[in-house]
Amino acid sequence: MSDHGGSLTEKVGHAPPVYRITNLTKRYAGQARAANEDITFDVNAGEIFGILGENGAGKSTLVRQMIHLLAPTAGSIEFLGRPLGPNASRQVGYLPQQADALNHLTVEEALYYTAHLRSLSATAAVEDRDTLIRCWHLDAIRSQDSATLSGGQRRLLRIAVAAAGRPDVLILDEPTSDLDPTRRRMVWRNLRRLRQTYGVTIILVTHDAAEAERVVDRVAIVRQGRMVAIGAPSRLKDVVGRVLQIEWCYPASEPPRLPDGVVPEQRGRGCWTVRLPWRDMLELLQQLDPAKVEDLRVTMPTLEDVLIHYAQSPPRASVQRPVP
Amino acid sequence: MPSPRRAHPFNVQFHDLLRIELTNWRWTWRAMVVLGTAAPFGSIVVLRLLLGDGDPDVLAHVFAGNLALSLVFDVQMRVGNHFQFMRFHGTLDYFAALQVRRSALVLAVAGAFFILSLPSLAVLVAIGPRVLELSLQPSPLLLLVVPLSTLPLTGIGAFVGIVARSPAEATSLSMLIAVCLGSGAVIPPHLLPAWAAALTQLSPATHAASALRSTLVGPLAAELWVNLAVLSLFALVTLWAVAGKLDWRGA
Repeated sequence: MSDHGGSLTEKVGHAPPVYRITNLTKRYAGQARAANEDITFDVNAGEIFGILGENGAGKSTLVRQMIHLLAPTAGSIEFLGRPLGPNASRQVGYLPQQADALNHLTVEEALYYTAHLRSLSATAAVEDRDTLIRCWHLDAIRSQDSATLSGGQRRLLRIAVAAAGRPDVLILDEPTSDLDPTRRRMVWRNLRRLRQTYGVTIILVTHDAAEAERVVDRVAIVRQGRMVAIGAPSRLKDVVGRVLQIEWCYPASEPPRLPDGVVPEQRGRGCWTVRLPWRDMLELLQQLDPAKVEDLRVTMPTLEDVLIHYAQSPPRASVQRPVP
Repeated sequence: MPSPRRAHPFNVQFHDLLRIELTNWRWTWRAMVVLGTAAPFGSIVVLRLLLGDGDPDVLAHVFAGNLALSLVFDVQMRVGNHFQFMRFHGTLDYFAALQVRRSALVLAVAGAFFILSLPSLAVLVAIGPRVLELSLQPSPLLLLVVPLSTLPLTGIGAFVGIVARSPAEATSLSMLIAVCLGSGAVIPPHLLPAWAAALTQLSPATHAASALRSTLVGPLAAELWVNLAVLSLFALVTLWAVAGKLDWRGA
């Protein structure tokens, strides 16, 4: 029946997936529409897996079930080959979305207590705390009340807290949304290092398709509680076609002559955009007068285009197998 | 494949959670003492002025009632606000994702607010008798009475914080309950109509005030054991209800 999208498992060996989610459905009392409906997928060991969807798509409900904070209405969740239970979820580091969850703990207290409550010994928790402070560049604020940190510092602390206690799996809900580009890169460098060095599996929950595209191995797209697509970003793009998008700006008084049948969409004064197959694109480029082109950009479809494609399609049942 | 981790035992979790709760208040505990002392102290002064050199039994009632009032403000209201904060700001999710025991968290919060209530209680015990010209005869049973007086108030506060649908509702409910509980403890029952005096017996603050009066001013009477039994019962019922109602893993 279900394929579980387990291509990576097949490639890397026969280890059980970290998560095996089968026909998962969650209905809240008094709500007509299910928050999650018949969702099936695997997350494989050591991969960076994205859960992508618009606001209100059901991503957080899905994640709360994966960390044993919410009971499913139907279906099952296996963690490392066993039914998900409280002990299993102690191996999962979770970053909640709320900024105030750590109340008034200092940076080092938040890291130490999290590591200790995640079952490390006191000595190991101290070591883990110091390693995390070094890795996440938190030394200058280690004794500071977490409630007084800037938005970016607080976000970094929360990622470090999720990683405290050396969990096997990290579930990060919008981890970089408040971060400047430098910190954002540092986050992904550190997370990739965690994966390479310790084999940590990372599950990224986001509505930022551009970020997901840069970092994930596979992604599941959730819409209105259903999983509408799953696969590697490069494969998912086939859904919107292997076309190129060109955007160019020309003097408004002298619009370029275009091949027959090409109808551009005007994006602003003197700027147009059009989607074309590769061979037609070459023809179009040859028609443009380089002396008059003020700006020109040629892009491939992005994961954002895929997300928009699904957002604009009529709702349908959850997919049960990955995009090939 | 990584093997499942074993959680630390209850006492280790409780110790961590108690320290977390206490350290959360390290920057604001002085303000808490001032606020927790101000209302009962003001009440003692006003009642002293109203009663003049009144009956020592009435003055002892005023004194103990205001100690209970201090506990109501310091414990019941603050625990209520704290639980609603934890619910609406993700702290409960944070603890739940760590899979700490619910009972360890509830008891750690109770322990922390008991410890935090002690400074204002000490200030009132030091100043109140001078204002009211009372002589204290503290009994060792006080060591049992004070924590037992805070537990039911913790339970009521936590229950309000957990069931309220919004922070504003939690604050209003906490305040309403604090006024109801506190007024019954402060006003001597013979000054109240019979039905109101009977109603005050349903309040743990009334029994806390009575037990505090017996163990601080004396005499130790059989009523003290009734008070302790009622306080224990309130504590068990309210904390059990909190542990059951706490939305740890939503349905």
